[in-house]
Amino acid sequence: MSELRDEFLAEAQEIVESLSRDLLLLDQAQKDNLPSQELINEVFRAVHTLKGIAGMFGYGRLGEVAHALEDLLDDLRLGRKVLETELLDVLFEGVEVFQRLLAESPDVEVSEVDVLGFLEELTSVGASRPPVEDELSAYAIDTSVLAVLTEYEEHRLRTNVAKGVALYRLKVRFSLTTIDTQLEDLKARAKSIAEIITYLPSSSGGDGDAIDLDVLLASSATPATLEDVLGGEGATLERLSRGTSPATSVRSTEHHALVPPAPLPTPRPTSAPPAPPRAPSEPPVARREVTADQLSLRSVAHTVRVDIRKLDHLMNVVGELAIVRSAVMRLTEKLRGRPELRQLAIDLHRINRGFERHLEELQDGILDVRMVPLGQTFDRLARIVRQVAREHDKEVQLVVTGAETEIDKLIVEELSDPLMHLIRNAIDHGIELPKIRESAGKPGTGTLVLNAYQKGNHVVIEIEDDGAGINPQVLVETAIRRGLVTEDVAADMSRDEALQLIFLPGFSTRTKASDLSGRGVGMDVVKTNIGRLGGVIDVQSEVGAGTKLTITLPVTLAIISALLVRVGGREYALPITAVQEAIVFDPRRVRRVEGREVVTLRGETLTILRLDELFRTQSDARGGRRYLVVVAVGQKRMGLVVDGLEGQQDIVIKALGKSLSRVRGFSGATDLGDQRVALVLDAPGLLDEVHSSTERTLGEGRR
Amino acid sequence: MSDLVKRQTMVPAKPGASETKSAPSLREVLAFSLADDTYGFPLARVREILKLPPITPVPRAPRFVLGIVSVRGVITTVVDLRRLMRVEERLPEKHARILLVDVGGEVVGALVDEVQQVHRLAEDEVELAQAVGGDLSDHVIGVGRPRSKREVEDAGRELIVLLDPEPLFARIERG
Repeated sequence: MSELRDEFLAEAQEIVESLSRDLLLLDQAQKDNLPSQELINEVFRAVHTLKGIAGMFGYGRLGEVAHALEDLLDDLRLGRKVLETELLDVLFEGVEVFQRLLAESPDVEVSEVDVLGFLEELTSVGASRPPVEDELSAYAIDTSVLAVLTEYEEHRLRTNVAKGVALYRLKVRFSLTTIDTQLEDLKARAKSIAEIITYLPSSSGGDGDAIDLDVLLASSATPATLEDVLGGEGATLERLSRGTSPATSVRSTEHHALVPPAPLPTPRPTSAPPAPPRAPSEPPVARREVTADQLSLRSVAHTVRVDIRKLDHLMNVVGELAIVRSAVMRLTEKLRGRPELRQLAIDLHRINRGFERHLEELQDGILDVRMVPLGQTFDRLARIVRQVAREHDKEVQLVVTGAETEIDKLIVEELSDPLMHLIRNAIDHGIELPKIRESAGKPGTGTLVLNAYQKGNHVVIEIEDDGAGINPQVLVETAIRRGLVTEDVAADMSRDEALQLIFLPGFSTRTKASDLSGRGVGMDVVKTNIGRLGGVIDVQSEVGAGTKLTITLPVTLAIISALLVRVGGREYALPITAVQEAIVFDPRRVRRVEGREVVTLRGETLTILRLDELFRTQSDARGGRRYLVVVAVGQKRMGLVVDGLEGQQDIVIKALGKSLSRVRGFSGATDLGDQRVALVLDAPGLLDEVHSSTERTLGEGRR
Repeated sequence: MSDLVKRQTMVPAKPGASETKSAPSLREVLAFSLADDTYGFPLARVREILKLPPITPVPRAPRFVLGIVSVRGVITTVVDLRRLMRVEERLPEKHARILLVDVGGEVVGALVDEVQQVHRLAEDEVELAQAVGGDLSDHVIGVGRPRSKREVEDAGRELIVLLDPEPLFARIERG
């Protein structure tokens, strides 16, 4: 049962996400005054499907909300209600309600979510639209056709007539065996120039193998164009004009007898099977969905949903295989030393290389499966932007680029909260009210840019606003007042250093916490969370011009390439993504600047950290030669002094036990084979330690 | 998303938690020696007994943490029980073993001098801490006195200090 429920949750979540995406598009369309019928249908379908599957999995409350929302959307679809901002608000709220309901067990007695309140809101929202005057009767459409039109089809027909769009009847003959593809093909061709209102099997024809269809179209294109695009063998096009008598007599009772046996009984809205989210190309209420079920089956066949833990397990197996491979490699080396076994060693080596290649492919394949586009997260953020902006009476335009950038699923999961917080901050503290903006000579609508791109083995996410910016002077004053820095230290802070103050625990410039950003989580939490993912965050800001936050994250956490370094006789792994270069360490070039050790590397000052001292071990450098590994994450750099470089290896990082959670400097450990375990150095953490201790010593050194 | 899934499927499984305190009549205890004394962990909490694998030390960890080992791919913290119990230190010898103890949420390795045997203690063979009196540490459940013939030779071994893993190992995290 719980597995089924997981499956349901995954699917429901997907539907809700696509629903949210479509609502945003609809919101934009409504602002541009171009409400799209297709989008409304899309939203309707999503809610409809959700209702269907919610019922099957015992999510009664969710089903109820979906049902009520479906009714509202149906009114919208049929033109009984007008799409306006208040109604959109309620729809967006619906997404929230869905998500909160999905987060709680369906079995709880009393839901945390105010379902009743929301349902009430639903019924009261939205202005009704007066019925359009009936002009249909003037057309040469058989009343029996009109009688079988769904309410939706009728609405579309009326809308087109009211707009003065010409109506056509297209007669086509399709073979029963290929009707699915032919119909889809016809729909595809018609899409750009005409709207297919309905299609009915025609009474006039069809033998055992073929069926004639009457397709009712509305189109503004010329008959000649229509003929070109839709015409063909066995197709005749006829324009329906006002006042002409019915051209054909269509009796609906016979049609149904002619419809080829559908694979499933035609779905009724109230008991729809759990159709996959984006499958049907027609509203589910359409009664002649001959092909929808087959289509949907086809579209789901290509994708499977996989629990990420299963991928973790596979990755572990690959890790174990890599260990086996290096063991074989070592044996091969041993064989090489024996002249009589040389040939054997060479063969074994070759085979092992092949094994290695395939193993790499396997690893890449698994990594690839774990990757998801950031767009999923960005969509969720777009909704937050809209909501927060509305609550604050601010005008915000969100510009998203690089939504296709891919990152490890696990990282994405952990990323939404920090990003959400940053977005709220940008709108709450960054972007000004329209009036203030205008008086400052800026456009009233603020722009929030969300930009993502891949840079080597990292993904960079930028959040940039054109708001008020951060005044470093104010930050410094606040920090002094809070006792976070001394005046002496503050006096010597550079602009950039001052901006970093926002990441200190207990820092908040707002005296009054807004209900949005002031939820007890500060930038320090954001920073910690991002650090936990092996990432860093940087801030740049210009007073009056805006603020830009840059997050740099590794693409994946599952398996990484690492540089093995030796310190005091022990091996440590350092993620290669953080390593810029490794050079021989020359102790004579070390200088002391204000209590810290630095070297100058190509004109730049680099703070160094002696790991043997930090780890309180005895250096075991051979012949006194040590190495300096230059580590950089984001904008920060440092040099780690190590006793030796032991080569590069792909490693699977494993978490340390909870009991060691307070030990700093390590992000985990890894199995190197032969029961050897190496600690993985936490590059962002060590950088942070070096830089924060630098600031402290800076303050002490100055006197 | 997967958060949701996780939330749904995570069945809180804490086998043996509080078993020792509510066990009706018999207490199963794994007895081991540390210096000259005998201690015991509730048997239900001991997952496995390991011979000494190579241990990777963890710099900057509390002193009683010996380091980490990989137990079938799971990184496990190993604690020197002598240091943790403030017993005089000594290098591990031939009979030294690591007991993998379930501390609720984490399995921790405890280095002991020697594993003795499993005792099934009846209720009247156990004196609970409050009955013993004095200020015993919170990680001592009580004292067991098995009526075993085999240990008659050494009077000092007749007493088993029964340990509660949770408060004992909580000290690692606190550092």
